[in-house]
Amino acid sequence: MTPENLLHRLPSTQKCTFGCPVLDRCLGGGIPCNSITELVAESGCGKTQLCLQLALSAQLPPSLGGLSASSLYIHTEFSFPSRRLHQLSHAFISSHPRIFNNDPCDRIFVHAVYSADQLFDIMPKIESLLENTNTQLPVKLIVIDSIAALFRSEFENTPIELKRRSSLFFKISGKLKSLAKRFGLAVVVTNQVVDLMGHSEGMNGLKVGNLGSLVSSGRRVCPALGLAWANCVNSRLFLSRNEEVVGEENGSVDVSACGGGDFLPRQTRRRLHVVFAPHLPDSSCEFVIRREGVFGVER
Amino acid sequence: MEVGRLPISASQRSKLIAAGYTTLSSFSSLSPSHLARDLKISDNEAAEIMRVASHGHRLDGSAGGCGTVNGAQTAWDMLHEEEMFPRITTSCEDLDNILGGGINCKEVTEIGGVPGIGKTQLGIQLAINVQIPVDYGGLGGKAIYIDTEGSFMVERALQIAEACIEDMSECGGLLRKDFQACQLKMHPNNILENIFYFRVCSYTEQIALINYLDKFISEHKDVKIVIVDSVTFHFRQDFDDMALRTRLLSGMALKLMKLAKDFSLAVVLLNQVTTKYIDGSFQLTLALGDSWSHSCTNRVILYWNGNERYAYIDKSPSLRSASAPYSVTSKGIRNSASNCKRIKMM
Repeated sequence: MTPENLLHRLPSTQKCTFGCPVLDRCLGGGIPCNSITELVAESGCGKTQLCLQLALSAQLPPSLGGLSASSLYIHTEFSFPSRRLHQLSHAFISSHPRIFNNDPCDRIFVHAVYSADQLFDIMPKIESLLENTNTQLPVKLIVIDSIAALFRSEFENTPIELKRRSSLFFKISGKLKSLAKRFGLAVVVTNQVVDLMGHSEGMNGLKVGNLGSLVSSGRRVCPALGLAWANCVNSRLFLSRNEEVVGEENGSVDVSACGGGDFLPRQTRRRLHVVFAPHLPDSSCEFVIRREGVFGVER
Repeated sequence: MEVGRLPISASQRSKLIAAGYTTLSSFSSLSPSHLARDLKISDNEAAEIMRVASHGHRLDGSAGGCGTVNGAQTAWDMLHEEEMFPRITTSCEDLDNILGGGINCKEVTEIGGVPGIGKTQLGIQLAINVQIPVDYGGLGGKAIYIDTEGSFMVERALQIAEACIEDMSECGGLLRKDFQACQLKMHPNNILENIFYFRVCSYTEQIALINYLDKFISEHKDVKIVIVDSVTFHFRQDFDDMALRTRLLSGMALKLMKLAKDFSLAVVLLNQVTTKYIDGSFQLTLALGDSWSHSCTNRVILYWNGNERYAYIDKSPSLRSASAPYSVTSKGIRNSASNCKRIKMM
């Protein structure tokens, strides 16, 4: 056993860009390789959008922040959003005209998984896909969208079942991390949120990470799967969506004078927060979702 | 040495004891004729007893005359030894204060907390601070960092290393008169080179590595800290045989304690938290169970108090229970910036 020479990792860990400089700046360059990053959000916040975008930008060469790699997209809840992927890839090709010979969608391998045990069962298949270097671009990005769906329905609420569930977390996370280390992969998992009821006492109200409380759509939420899963990921990013009255933040609209809030123009403000990450300070950035993709906004 | 252990005849022994000589030292300084008169024996016999006694005394070894077991030390010697080894600073004064100056060598310290509280940050800070040269009050040693989770990010280590060098240069500048000769020549890359980084991906690798450390450290005698981040990740998977897990964990703990003692280095184990059902409610507790909690000399728990990070001494044979605030900044672990902070004694 010899220690690894840390100087070989300099200047920094390899990252996969999001394709947007504002988002990259907030996250120190993008999603880091060799670790598991979790995207937590309620439905409709943009988790899948970000994942699809990552699967495309991973194909960029390292000089543009990509990994020159294909991706493996494991989906668990809904059918794979291929139409949206095609839409994104057209925008992608037009913004990077000389990079792609083939359809970038060909470089995204999609697999459906319906239970945690099934995910574990296909690990050997995943491993052989990763070992296969005959394809032009090796797989260096694995997306699991979403990990929560694999666990939320099939375990009963008894201590034994919950214990079995949490040891499955560590087993899956251990396997993913060991693959990430062996092949230099970036692993992205998405997670859902649960509402925080009443008092903030109790385990769900436990502060984990930088944010005192996670708020989305005006409600206090916390990530699903609990404290055990939080110990399994390296970084956690939270996407929030809140409605704001247009103009309220710079005082150009007087809410009370407009006779109550019902007829005021509202817009959805989306933010990406770093909940915890070993290489990032507490930061957040606003973003929008357009036809061409997800883009950070600097205000 | 007891008279009873001397290889002399029973009658000689009973005469010695009857005359009031129970230990070697009580008659070793007498002249043989004096002893002969006291015991009412011939001069020759007394000389023979003295000869046997001094031979036995010489075999005894230790000057204090206390050791009958090899390797035993007096508490006085241990106190002197303890004072010889400086502690490893955490770069946060409040935290150092409740730790009695910093992380102690020759001991196993366990540090646990929720994700995002700063365990890995503290681990990296210690791996860098152990390298502070002796002239600046550090140990000038190297570090072994065992990463089981993949949380070690080299750019963060570089950032903390640069800040550490900056702080030292400032400090050196203030004490210019003495330190002209030893201008700080450290470069962040040197600091990274002095961290022996191992990444383990399963519990078998982890145990094999810890068993191997004995050999590694004897070849790299300047290693002064071993950090395991985190010690618990690979053990929280399902073990079909829980007794096996307990055996493996206690074996590992013993090995680490031995390393700490034999090589006089600090062992820092980072742990995760889990919930435990106590008294009708779920409470936070460090992972790996009750038997593991006996494996460490000291235990520090990191927790959130509102928006501030706090460290709490949960268990220590020499430190009192206290908590202190700290913060994680771009430079690493530092004092908390809050105005109303104070160290709370329990």
